[in-house]
Amino acid sequence: MKMLISDLEGRELQGLLLDMSSELTIISKDFPIHHCTGCFGCWTRTPAVCIIRDKYGDMGEQLSKCEELFIISQCFYGGFSPFVKNILDRSISYIHPYFVIRNGEMHHRRRYDNVIHMHVWFYGVNITDIEKLTAEKLIKANSINFNSVVEDISFYNSITEMRGQLL
Amino acid sequence: MKTALINGSPKLKESASGCILCDLKSLLDNGNHVVYECSFRKPQLSLEEMKNLAECDVFVFAFPLYVDSIPSHLLNCMIQLEDFLSELKERDIKVYAVVNCGFYEGHQNKPAIEIMKNWCVKSGLIWGQGIGIGAGGMITSLKNVPMGQGPKRNHGIALKQLASNILSGVSADDLYITANFPRFLYKLAAERNWIQSAKANGLKRKDLFLKK
Repeated sequence: MKMLISDLEGRELQGLLLDMSSELTIISKDFPIHHCTGCFGCWTRTPAVCIIRDKYGDMGEQLSKCEELFIISQCFYGGFSPFVKNILDRSISYIHPYFVIRNGEMHHRRRYDNVIHMHVWFYGVNITDIEKLTAEKLIKANSINFNSVVEDISFYNSITEMRGQLL
Repeated sequence: MKTALINGSPKLKESASGCILCDLKSLLDNGNHVVYECSFRKPQLSLEEMKNLAECDVFVFAFPLYVDSIPSHLLNCMIQLEDFLSELKERDIKVYAVVNCGFYEGHQNKPAIEIMKNWCVKSGLIWGQGIGIGAGGMITSLKNVPMGQGPKRNHGIALKQLASNILSGVSADDLYITANFPRFLYKLAAERNWIQSAKANGLKRKDLFLKK
C-alpha cells in the first residue's frame, strides 16, 4: 500500500496529485484529531491500537500495510506541522514497547515486518538552511525508529512550487 | 527576575517533566527569583497565559520526546506563542529546554533541542541551553531519590549547572546525559514494567505482541 500523510486541505492536495491511484491511502485533515496523551494504552491496554477512537486511531495498523510513505508537511522550525506531527505521535502502536539495541543505540523493537520507504516534502516560506539540516536529522532519526528507509527529502518554498513534482 | 517553568507533558500528573521541573525549582530558590509555573497540556494557549508568559525574563521548557521531536500539542502552543511574541516590541527572553526520552541515550533528544533553538530564532528569543536526558522512564520512580545521588548523579550535575546558568542569565553548551544505571538493566526493567502494565490491564505478556 502507498500512503500519503499531508497537512494540505482537500483542494490544495488534489491539485498536487497527478496519480490519484486507488493504491494511495490519504491521511489528511478531514476530521477532528485528538493529540497523543502519552498514556501508552496502544502498547499495554489495547496493543497495536490507539485508545483514542477518533478517525486516526488505527495509524499503526495502516502503517503495517504500507510499503511507500509520502509525507507533505509545512516546515515548522525544522520539523513537521502540528497535524503531521500529531499523526506520527498517534502512530507509535506501529512499533513494540520493548527496546532493542540498533547501531549501538536503544530503539524500539519492530511489531511488524514491513519496511516503509519514506519520501518527505517540506514546504514553507523562509525555511532556513539550519532548519533544513534539522529536518534532515529528524527524518533520519524517524527512519531509524520506524525501521524505515529514507528515499528523499525535499524543500519547497510554496505549495505551487510542488506542482508537477509529486506522485 | 521572573522565570516561567513550562511543563510540556500532556499528562495531568506523574510526568517526568513535572519531576524535573520540581527538582529545578528547588535549585532556583533564592530571594530575587520569582517562579511562574504553567502546564501546556492542550494544543491551545489562552490569551491570559500568553500575557503572563510575556512578562517573564526566562522560559524553561521541560517536555518528553515524542517521535524524535516535540509533542504535537506543545508544537501548536509554540506556534501560537511565536505569533503572540512577534507582536511585542521588547522581547528580552532567554529560553532553556530540558527534554527527556525513554531511550537510554540522552543524545537522542538532539533533534528536539535543535527545533527549540530554531523556534527561538523565529520568535526573536535568546537561546540559553538545552539538556537532553536519557532513561526518562526512570525519572518518576526516582522522584524520592535526592538529586545528585545514586542513579540521579548526572541528573543533579546537569540541573545544578542549568540552574546556575538561569540565575546568572548566561547561555551555555547543550548537555546530554543519562541515568547512572547500566543500560542492560534499564532495558530489562522497562520490559518488566510493560508486562506489569499489561497485566494490570487484564492482558498477558504475549498480548504485547499483538498485530492488527
